[in-house]
Amino acid sequence: MARVYQKDHKRVPLFKNVVFGLKLGWDADKRLLIGYLINMIADQVFALYVQNILFLQMLLGIIDSKGSFEQYVKTLLVFLVLSVALKAVNWYSHYLRMVAVKNVLKKVNNKIFAKAVSLDIACYEDPAFYDKYQRATDVLAWSLFDSASAAVAAIIASIISLALVIGTVTSIDPRYLVLLLPSALVFVVEVYKSKVVYKRDKEMTTNNRIKAYIQRTVFLKDFSKDMRTSNIFSVLMVRFKNAIDSNVEILRKYGVKLFLYSAVSTLFGEFIPVIGTYALAAYQFVFTKTLTVSAFSVVLASINSVKESTMRIAQNFEVMSRFAYYFQNMREFLDFESKVADGSVKCESFESLEFKNVYFQYPSAKKPTLENVSFRISKGETIALVGVNGAGKSTLVKLLLRFYDVTEGEILLNGRNIKDYELASLRGIFGAVFQDYRNFALTVNENLMCHECDEDEKKKAEIALKHSGVWEKISSLPEKGDTVLTREFEKDGIGLSGGENQKLSVARLFAKDFSFAVLDEPSSALDPIAEYRMYESLISVTKGKTVLYISHRLSSAVLSDRIIVLDGGRICEEGSHDELIKKDGVYKEMFTLQASSYNKEKEGE
Amino acid sequence: MKEKKLKNRHSMFSNIFFFVKLLFEISPGLVIGEFVWGILMHVPPRLIGVIGVKYIIDTVESGENLERIFVAVGIIALIVILSNAFTWVFREFFWNMERERVYYGLNKKLYAKARQLDEESYDNPDFYNNFILTIESSSDNIQNLLGLVRNYVGNIILLFSIGSVLLTIDPVCLVIILFFIGVFSPISKKIGNLQMERRIDNTKYHRRSDYFQRIFYLQDYCKEVRMNDISPLLIERYNDAAEDVVKNQRRYFKKIDSLYMIQESGIQIFGFMFVLPLYLGYCVLVKNSLSAGEFVAAFNGAFSIASSINFLTVWAVAIFSERGKMIEKYREFLKADFKIRDGEKNAEKGSPKEIKIENLSFTYEGNSEPTLKNISLTIKPYEKIALVGYNGAGKTTLTNLILRLYDPTEGRIVVDGEDIRNVTVDSHRDRFAAVFQDFQLFSCNVGENVALDKNYDRARVEAALDNSGFGKKLKSGTETELLREFDDEGVMLSGGESQKVAIARAFYKDCPYVILDEPSANLDPVAEYNLNRAMTEASDNKTVIFISHRLSTTVHADRIYVMEKGRIIESGSHEELMEQNGTYAYMFNLQAEKYKDKM
Repeated sequence: MARVYQKDHKRVPLFKNVVFGLKLGWDADKRLLIGYLINMIADQVFALYVQNILFLQMLLGIIDSKGSFEQYVKTLLVFLVLSVALKAVNWYSHYLRMVAVKNVLKKVNNKIFAKAVSLDIACYEDPAFYDKYQRATDVLAWSLFDSASAAVAAIIASIISLALVIGTVTSIDPRYLVLLLPSALVFVVEVYKSKVVYKRDKEMTTNNRIKAYIQRTVFLKDFSKDMRTSNIFSVLMVRFKNAIDSNVEILRKYGVKLFLYSAVSTLFGEFIPVIGTYALAAYQFVFTKTLTVSAFSVVLASINSVKESTMRIAQNFEVMSRFAYYFQNMREFLDFESKVADGSVKCESFESLEFKNVYFQYPSAKKPTLENVSFRISKGETIALVGVNGAGKSTLVKLLLRFYDVTEGEILLNGRNIKDYELASLRGIFGAVFQDYRNFALTVNENLMCHECDEDEKKKAEIALKHSGVWEKISSLPEKGDTVLTREFEKDGIGLSGGENQKLSVARLFAKDFSFAVLDEPSSALDPIAEYRMYESLISVTKGKTVLYISHRLSSAVLSDRIIVLDGGRICEEGSHDELIKKDGVYKEMFTLQASSYNKEKEGE
Repeated sequence: MKEKKLKNRHSMFSNIFFFVKLLFEISPGLVIGEFVWGILMHVPPRLIGVIGVKYIIDTVESGENLERIFVAVGIIALIVILSNAFTWVFREFFWNMERERVYYGLNKKLYAKARQLDEESYDNPDFYNNFILTIESSSDNIQNLLGLVRNYVGNIILLFSIGSVLLTIDPVCLVIILFFIGVFSPISKKIGNLQMERRIDNTKYHRRSDYFQRIFYLQDYCKEVRMNDISPLLIERYNDAAEDVVKNQRRYFKKIDSLYMIQESGIQIFGFMFVLPLYLGYCVLVKNSLSAGEFVAAFNGAFSIASSINFLTVWAVAIFSERGKMIEKYREFLKADFKIRDGEKNAEKGSPKEIKIENLSFTYEGNSEPTLKNISLTIKPYEKIALVGYNGAGKTTLTNLILRLYDPTEGRIVVDGEDIRNVTVDSHRDRFAAVFQDFQLFSCNVGENVALDKNYDRARVEAALDNSGFGKKLKSGTETELLREFDDEGVMLSGGESQKVAIARAFYKDCPYVILDEPSANLDPVAEYNLNRAMTEASDNKTVIFISHRLSTTVHADRIYVMEKGRIIESGSHEELMEQNGTYAYMFNLQAEKYKDKM
């Protein structure tokens, strides 16, 4: 584990990543960086130079030279105008970046979405990749574009004010510059320190993930019932406590190192310059008598400014090196090449499908989920796929839809390897209902048609809803098909029950212009009558089209033209219902078992 | 309504005090350390800038005993070293670790409270918004508030020490400073309020944009998104929400930043960079009442005071009043009333007793139609009860009421002769094992997922898994971690396997009543058959209520209730209902006929 960190740690080039991050922000909205630059320069030059040094220097100059009060007032007026002007500039630049930052959020999120949609499903099951995705979104959640732009602007602004201050000190007595030199070392120390902090934070990542997970389980509705009716809360709290304890241990471990770095940093950045200046000034006052009171005051103020600027540079540098790691993840995420590569042939219709000696093994699995699977489906056939839990049915569907690519063998569609087809057009010919169907917090019609609907399309949606048996419910709502699902955002939204949601996702299939329907347990949450009607409409709506469905309700398998029985990743039987019953194998056994439950009387006899 | 809300509000300082006290209770060392740190961070350097510099300049101007300057420099060096040393030790060794512990202490409280909340709270968007805001901002609150308090204390001490020095030089300086602060600081409160408003508005818009962000991020939706061309619509909706955030930002910017601009220009520029130096210059150049050393000391001192007063009244007030409002929400949340209240008595687990449901009606908040209408039924001990009926008939709601996830609008539920509202919620729920339709697995190990408790009996967990038909061999047995949330070696289960783990919970829990909502939805025929058998054998000594659409599972139930539109329309044993030839018989035949004549 530790070695992985080490390796990872070395792979994060600071400069490259920060430039990447800034460029991404710049491309999204230039006002962000520009706003920050103006903002920071106006702010810091004003605070660290104009107000702190120049002002005092000018006024003391007049006092030292016994100038007139009129001259003094004039100087004050000049500063007044200058300061108000700087404030106004500041106000405007602040406005620029405040608006820009949300704009950047929007645009970069769009980029992330586009990338996410193009990713392999496998990525979602790979924790290492998912982590990258998480960090890429963290970049946005924590406004790192904002902070990175701020950091770069602050560094530039600090360098400018540093130059101005050094110029002032040089004009008074260049010897004081020697005392400022150690401040430069602060920078080096801070870089080392930031590496330690980074390593420490990285070690805490898993614990922080646990903390976030616990928080999520507390506030998401999904978990609320299980939390309330069981004692799982105490289990989670133990995990929570362990994560905290482990973090405390890590913080303790790194404490000594950070203590030393802080000590050295203060020594160079504060102690030597400040005390040195006092000592040198004292020496000049007492022995050489070459220092004026006003020059002494200005030098002291300058030391303060130098300290501030160098600290600011170092801190911002540290901030950026922390960001670099997140930007790195975002870059890797955006640069990620899907394993399921897009083909070039447009897929227009469906004629035939053939699995040829297909093997498939999940990346983390020890043995294949599908072994030597071969079968053929022609246009217009209705196929039922049955088998016990874990036989590989859903996996087979995932391969067909190219959520994964086969490990060995090939899948031919219209005689051509499905890898040759353009992904979007390939998936376009399929309509699918998944076991873990999901609907969106959009209107009912939008959930079906997948875009904003005109009247014609609403009619279409209505027909699909009728076929799937949920129209009665939808038509009873005041807004009918325009009702938004879930109450999450709309007070008059509708929360549908499990069965209604399932009917809705079946309606989405019906509304789609598909050639080949794939349904994975489409009736698991339906009541008997709804289930019966759903299969009836499925058969009638899909007339002439090809259908592949997975069902544990073997009564529905009876409706198919052909049944494929999977067992342990292999096809063990294939044929019509009657043929398989005659064969007296796995299928018959399952069918008899299920049928017997409906036959209490017989069993009792 | 609004008036009532106002009355319950606390003042800003009461809120801050409340939170600091809370932190102090969890970690006194952290709070005291912050105070000391604040003082050491602010006071010595500034005081040196005023007193030290004045002393040196005065010594130089007097021209006597110049070596005194070296002593002064020595003392300054000592003070700087000592104050820094404390800071390093505190920050690197104590502060980080203690903050982590405080985060734990604070969230433990919040989470325990969150768990007590009514299920209903999740249906109320306003409350839910606040709820999320409170929980998510708790670590923010610690961080910000402690930093703020640290600076606040430091600046107050600084103010007094430098103020007294300045008073000895020229009291008029102090008058000028206080005048400008007095005129412009009331704006801070207004700024704080606006910032809080912005935050609340933003939460609302962000929640919407976060939802769409989540769709792309979560594994749950990835298949739907890939198979349907819905992503353009989702992205459009995201953009609408994001656009609202931008607009909100723009709207508030104009108000907030213009106020800041007025305030800063007034105090910092007009007050401290113009009027004050004008007076000091007048004293030195015209009146000759101040020396150069005094000018520098007064000038530095005035700026120190100016910046600390500026901080105390302008920044701190704005931030404090924003934080104060967050803490108000936090307090509101901790005090939040819940409807599902504990009764006086403790329910006993024991053996199953009679469950009586009397004239029960229930309407979800915000709905006009009741979901349950006047339901009455009696469940005798050890009975196996099946609830069947159309989707949306109210079956799940009925079980929710039995578990007291909601309380009835009318009527009551009586267990063992006692209204369930008369016993404590925990002891009541502890009598039940419930497997929900939308059960969740947790990122814990298998044993914990089955027992739903940290202490579990391994042998019994294994037996429960056997009963539910979970046949999968796991590397580390019951200690195998589920899900990959934090463990890369975590095991991902299929839908059917997950359901079996959930069902095993019911077998494991030692309690008289079991509620199962669609336990076999994801199971294959063999698993379903085995489950039915195991259910009858293993729960012989329990009362079981189950909801099922698979009427083969209801055949063996002692009593079947058929529900439609919130009412019970038929009840009886399988044979009785088949004889009645009503809805149940129709449903049953529909499912069964496909199995007949097909063999």
